[in-house]
Amino acid sequence: MSVRLPQAARSTTVVWAVLSAITVVSWWLGPAHHSGPPAPSTAITVAVLALGLFKARLIIRHFMEVRTAPLWLRVSTDVWLVALWGGVLGIYLY
Amino acid sequence: MATVSEADKAGRNHLPGDGNMWVFVLGDLVIFGGYFIIFMIYRHQERDLFLESQQHLSLTVGVVNTLVLLASSWFVATSVQATRAGQYQRAIRLTVIGGGCGLVFLAIKAYEWTSKIGQGYTFPSNDFFMFYYLLTGVHLFHVALGLLFLGVTFAELRSPKLRRVSMVETGATYWHMVDLLWIVIFALLYVMR
Repeated sequence: MSVRLPQAARSTTVVWAVLSAITVVSWWLGPAHHSGPPAPSTAITVAVLALGLFKARLIIRHFMEVRTAPLWLRVSTDVWLVALWGGVLGIYLY
Repeated sequence: MATVSEADKAGRNHLPGDGNMWVFVLGDLVIFGGYFIIFMIYRHQERDLFLESQQHLSLTVGVVNTLVLLASSWFVATSVQATRAGQYQRAIRLTVIGGGCGLVFLAIKAYEWTSKIGQGYTFPSNDFFMFYYLLTGVHLFHVALGLLFLGVTFAELRSPKLRRVSMVETGATYWHMVDLLWIVIFALLYVMR
C-alpha cells in the first residue's frame, strides 16, 4: 500500500475490510447451515436487509465517491437506497 | 498531470467522472430497483417455494463471489487514487487486477450455473429459479460491460497523451455499480429468509 496517499487509501481499505467482514457474517446468517427447508425469520431478514442497506451505502458513498459529490447526487442516491430497501422490507413484512 | 487533482481540492462538490455515466448509472439503478421489487412481490406470494428453492443455492459460492467483487472494487478505487497521484504504472496494475477479479467472478458464476443446471434447477423449474437466472444473468451482462469500461480505462492509462482522471473515474463509477447491484442480489436471493 502506498504511503503517499495515506488518508484516501486508508479510508478505502477500511471500507473494504468492513464490507468483507459483513459479507462473512451474512454467511453465518444464511439458511445453508440447517438441514431441511429453512424457517422464515423476520429477525434474520431485518438484520440482512439492514446490513445490505449499510453495505450499499458504503459502496455509494466511499467507492463511488458520492460523499464528496454535488448535493443532487448525494440526495438521489439516498432516495434510491431508502426506496429500494424500504420497499423490500415493506413487502416482506406485509 | 501528476499533481493532486481538482477532486481533492474541490471538497464536497466533485462529480466523479462523466455526467452522462451518472445518468446511465442512476437509470440502471432504477431499473434494477424495479426488478428487485417485482422479485419481492413474487416472493411474498410464494414464500415457502422461494425459501425451499433458495436452499439449493450455495451460500458459500455467493459469499466468495461477493468477496471477489468487493476486492475488485478496492483495486479499482485504489487505481483512481493512484491516477490522481500520477502513479500511472501502479494505476494500470491495479486496474488489471481489478478486471482480473471480474473474470474470476464470471468463472465462479459459470461454475454455479453449470452446477445448478446439472442438479436440474433450470429457468423454467419455478419462479424462484426464473428470478435467479434472470437477475444473475442481467447482472452478468453488466459485469461484462464493466470489464469493457475497465479496458477503456486501461487504454487511457497506457497512453501518456491521455491519462485523464475523469475517464478513469468514469470506468470506476460503472464498476462500483456492478458491485453495488450484486450486494442487493446477494441479500435477496441468497441470504434473506
